[in-house]
Amino acid sequence: MNPGGSKGSIIITGVGSGIGYETARCLLAQNYRIIGIDRQRGRFDELPAGDHLFLEADVRDFESQKQAIEREAAHHPIVGLVTCAGILVRRPYLELDEATFDQHLDVNLKGPFFACQAVLPAMRKQGNGSIVLISSSIARSGSVAGAHYAATKGGILGLARTLALETARDGVRVNVVSPGVTDTPMPRGHASDAEVLAKGAKIPLGRIGKPQDIAETIAFLISDDSSYITGQDIRVTGGAGLF
Amino acid sequence: MKTILITGAASGIGLATARRMAAHMQVVIADRNYEAAVLAADEIKTNGGQAFPVAVDVSVASSVARMTQEVAGSVGEVHALFCNAGISPKKPFEDWSEADWDSVIHTHIKGVFLCTQAFLPQMCNRKEGAIVTSGSDYSIVGHVHGSGYAAAKAGIYSLTKSIALEFAPYNIRCNSVGPGPIETPLIRKAMNDEQWARHKSQRGERVPMGRMGKPEEVASVVDFLVSDRAAYITGQIIHPNGGCVMW
Repeated sequence: MNPGGSKGSIIITGVGSGIGYETARCLLAQNYRIIGIDRQRGRFDELPAGDHLFLEADVRDFESQKQAIEREAAHHPIVGLVTCAGILVRRPYLELDEATFDQHLDVNLKGPFFACQAVLPAMRKQGNGSIVLISSSIARSGSVAGAHYAATKGGILGLARTLALETARDGVRVNVVSPGVTDTPMPRGHASDAEVLAKGAKIPLGRIGKPQDIAETIAFLISDDSSYITGQDIRVTGGAGLF
Repeated sequence: MKTILITGAASGIGLATARRMAAHMQVVIADRNYEAAVLAADEIKTNGGQAFPVAVDVSVASSVARMTQEVAGSVGEVHALFCNAGISPKKPFEDWSEADWDSVIHTHIKGVFLCTQAFLPQMCNRKEGAIVTSGSDYSIVGHVHGSGYAAAKAGIYSLTKSIALEFAPYNIRCNSVGPGPIETPLIRKAMNDEQWARHKSQRGERVPMGRMGKPEEVASVVDFLVSDRAAYITGQIIHPNGGCVMW
């Protein structure tokens, strides 16, 4: 069942860059089989040799995402799902058009919703599994010109808690990681390299987050070290925005 | 090898954490019950770990000062701290005496204040340190007959955030672990086998995951928070609670 003593398969969406890529690297090193989903391979081929597979799919194409997951489930136990695929196109509230709104809802919230639906039958059947959904500190703090993004990330919290309750007796755990500003391509969509790094000066720990910081927290939530943690939101923010 | 000091380390969650941390750190077993601390340290040493027992009443400044001195002399530097010592009397609100209130507030909030203040200066000098305090689900949702305990735990979390902010520039992180219902010996010892079985199943039934947690399931969270895996996490509370409280 598990060639090479693998601990089982982890599905990672948005695996081609940023937090998704780093999570794949981190979990690969911990002997999981990685099934990466993204629109483009991106950095996927930079992963060290190991048990990994790339599936080209847009997380908005819910049916092909579901088929890809079910194909994997037929041959390997899926022990984890990490939904990193996400987009942020900033628009002042009154300038936000319906198409941009729908695009954010589809990628950031509807994609994870149906990815969870696709992995749950297999996880329930085997009696274990860990799902980690990526939200954002913006879900709580809000962000100027990011109302649509904040709405999707707030939605992730409600989705995770409900799924946690619905699956708790089946051995499945569902948690959220909420990063603060992280050194990935996403914040660079609207700011220069220097501007992104300069945000660290306002953060208590004195730097913006590294993708590795987020990946390690995801790996903790995937592992048995968090066996009594479900429905929780772990905020990896360097101490910014405590409440 | 780095050193972690754990208060209330001779039993329950503290002892489970001491056993777990002993795999990669030297552990100072600080407890009000010195005999139990010696037993715990002996067990860890028998299993190949390094442990040092010390007596302390965390609610008394002179006792914390004496412990700090003893640890400095016999063990040396302390790199991480788990402020875990706690008590949990249960009484209807109107029956809480001033002495009850003082002992709960002093053991929890003052205990964290005194212990962190004792070891923060050396962490500042090294520009490195990790502190974990012990919170509770009850600090968020309240606790019938445990009003003082819930208030104390909320106070600890507030203190945790302030320490996190004030010492972040020194690369010191301070977080809290907030367990839900855990099978601790304190609860176990107060019951006979039949009562315990009933309690376990009834209490577990109210948890979304359907069971109480084990001390080891809190220890693994403390280990994570102390480690570099949590290098960018500070001022947070993490709840190993089987899904009881989500916020």
